[in-house]
Amino acid sequence: MLLIRRIREGDAEAWAELIDRFEGRLLAFVQGRTRDRNAAEDVVQETFIGLLTSLPNYDSRRPLESYLFSIAAHKLTDLLRREGRRPTVPLMPPGESTSGWQPQGYQRGPSSLARSAERHHLEDAALVAAMRKQIDHCRRRGQWEKLQCAELLFVRGLSNKETAAVLDLSEQTVANHKYEFLAKLRASVRAGDLPREVFPELYE
Amino acid sequence: MTEAFRKTELEAYLDEALPAERMARIEKALRGSPALVERLATIHAERNAGSISLGRLWREHRLSCPTREQWGSFLLGAISAEATRYMTFHVEVVGCRYCQANLADLKNQQTEQPDIASTRRRRYFQTSAGHLRGRSGDP
Repeated sequence: MLLIRRIREGDAEAWAELIDRFEGRLLAFVQGRTRDRNAAEDVVQETFIGLLTSLPNYDSRRPLESYLFSIAAHKLTDLLRREGRRPTVPLMPPGESTSGWQPQGYQRGPSSLARSAERHHLEDAALVAAMRKQIDHCRRRGQWEKLQCAELLFVRGLSNKETAAVLDLSEQTVANHKYEFLAKLRASVRAGDLPREVFPELYE
Repeated sequence: MTEAFRKTELEAYLDEALPAERMARIEKALRGSPALVERLATIHAERNAGSISLGRLWREHRLSCPTREQWGSFLLGAISAEATRYMTFHVEVVGCRYCQANLADLKNQQTEQPDIASTRRRRYFQTSAGHLRGRSGDP
């Protein structure tokens, strides 16, 4: 990414260009959550400083906009905590210790917990690629109903019944779309030689 | 009685990725419900232990987000009716915060006085450029 390379070299023009390109969307992102315009602008300002200070660790394979939104989200969270609006959530459930705690629900099994971060990254990347392929396929074929179903089921976490109500479909139609989506993901996971326990959600 | 929140929603809350109104409702519920705080702490700990859901991957990688250029075309009415319906669904029903921000920004560009934006941008530059490699902070 040329712009980032120039900024890493200290190019002020490139930095101004990045600010021009992204400040508006960052301000809109933050402003929805703050009641104070000045506070929202301060969060955006901290976001830009946060980008510069974290540049040595920035992986340029990651889209810059997503990276900026994630920094803005952290800065916004800090502000809301300082204002007392966002309650602090303990890192562990009460009564649990780090050594004795095991995750609940869909999770990577104990063997995968011991795997390297790089292995996790590869597993996630394989599943992301499989999902992206299906989503692009839906778009190209104009299968908007199927895409909407998958988005409500997986991104919003709605049940089949709720999804059917939102989209005015039968529950059977939603179930069929869900089955097909998951079946294709499972096929990709098998083709990628990924262990089944990596994403047990696929087999629910 | 505490409102029921889905696990997927609570995951998105931790990432500051829900629509503003929904974020505020969860914050309000958290203030009055130690059980909800505990549930959120459990989800937080699971994530730290490596757990990840399809929804989180989908959201983090923004797999179904239209591009900013497509949002520009959306505002100009230059895309198909079906795609327009889907994009409206994406911001209004799914409530994608990132696309909401892009759309609001593009709309704002049509109405905001250019000098207001440029003053704001200059201030961002002046307060951050000192962090550029090899610079003293001069604009």
